[in-house]
Amino acid sequence: MIRRWLFEPVPRGRVAAFRTLVYLFVALDLVIFTPWVRSHANTPGELYEPLLIGRLLHLPTPGPLLVWGIFWTLLALSLAAATGRAPRALGWTVFLLYFEWMIIAMSYGKVDHDRIGLLVALAALPTAGRARHGDPERTESGGWALRVTQIAVICTYFLAALAKLRFGGLDWLTSSVLAQAIIRRGTDLADAIAVVPGLLILAQFGIIAFELLSPVVFIIPQRWRNAMVAFFYSFHVITFSTITISFAPHLVAMTSFLALEKVRPIHWLRSRKRAMNSTT
Amino acid sequence: MTELTTTGRRVRVLATVAGLLLLLAGTFWGQDDDFPFGPFRMYSTAPDPNGAAKDTRVEGVDVTGAVVPITEANSGIRRAEIEGQQAAYEADPSRLSRIAEAYAEHTPSAPALREVRIVIRWHLVKHSRPTGTYTDEVVADWVRP
Repeated sequence: MIRRWLFEPVPRGRVAAFRTLVYLFVALDLVIFTPWVRSHANTPGELYEPLLIGRLLHLPTPGPLLVWGIFWTLLALSLAAATGRAPRALGWTVFLLYFEWMIIAMSYGKVDHDRIGLLVALAALPTAGRARHGDPERTESGGWALRVTQIAVICTYFLAALAKLRFGGLDWLTSSVLAQAIIRRGTDLADAIAVVPGLLILAQFGIIAFELLSPVVFIIPQRWRNAMVAFFYSFHVITFSTITISFAPHLVAMTSFLALEKVRPIHWLRSRKRAMNSTT
Repeated sequence: MTELTTTGRRVRVLATVAGLLLLLAGTFWGQDDDFPFGPFRMYSTAPDPNGAAKDTRVEGVDVTGAVVPITEANSGIRRAEIEGQQAAYEADPSRLSRIAEAYAEHTPSAPALREVRIVIRWHLVKHSRPTGTYTDEVVADWVRP
């Protein structure tokens, strides 16, 4: 039964849409969402603290050649991959380059956990095979790629709750963790919320509850599943509007829960143009 | 429908289980160093509800005497990255000269820095709410020799 769930077939059109979205995001991430990685091109080498994986693989200390080389290659290849061509060759190359890009990003003393879902999507998409936009034929390899991305997305919540219990313990619930976050990077909205007695503590209970319960998304009926995914998105709207943490890569990976094949902007534009042409 | 071969399925099941086991192990026993399988520990600590909240900043003093906040934009180094290596800066404040170097590299038109320091603003917190009062503490200071 678990096997059937893990390989539940999805329309190829969904894989195609997810692929385009993920690779377009990689390009946008390089340029807009995570621009600070580029600045490590000329960060002094002494500040580089290689991660375990960097030491195991003997990855070089980042410098202008490496950082700018990856930046431009990855930008070109991710845009090419977004077209859906050569899904395997382009897909694996983009995955390896983006993974190295992230290793560079996390090797200067701060590790983020907002993109495990995106990394899993990038690792799984090359195995999903060819997929045309709008193709209704179902595929098991595509189903698996989307499923493991969903699992990684939910792990981001569930395992974050376990990490809170490991590092903060039950005290986390009544601690000043959100007050600290607001002091460090709160917006005006957050400052207004912070003064309400008990509200931040209540929010902390809410966060742990929702993170621990997040795997439920896999067992509830489809209609409720969409509502639950909408709730996840709304959680990130709130964290962004209060402490300006966007989790953008995670939000993109989370679209693996949605019937993306129904969103076809290029197709709509074309048919509209055709309709306009036929009336003139 | 396109189905997978038995081998195709097996490899994928194996990859799924291995990935999950690594993530679980990282959550219980791992550290940041184990990226991408380390624990998802952002905001996972439990600071004292009646203690002081730490707000770190890095500032430089340039040759004209002006105090310049060091940011990601003018130095290419994120605040969290400096905090992550704070112990190293405290043990050897001359390491802050690297930040002056990075600042000069990223903001070549600005006057050079003659001093760089890490300052922690301790905000008082009561009942898990900020009180609006604070004190500043310099934890590492480097002056160009």
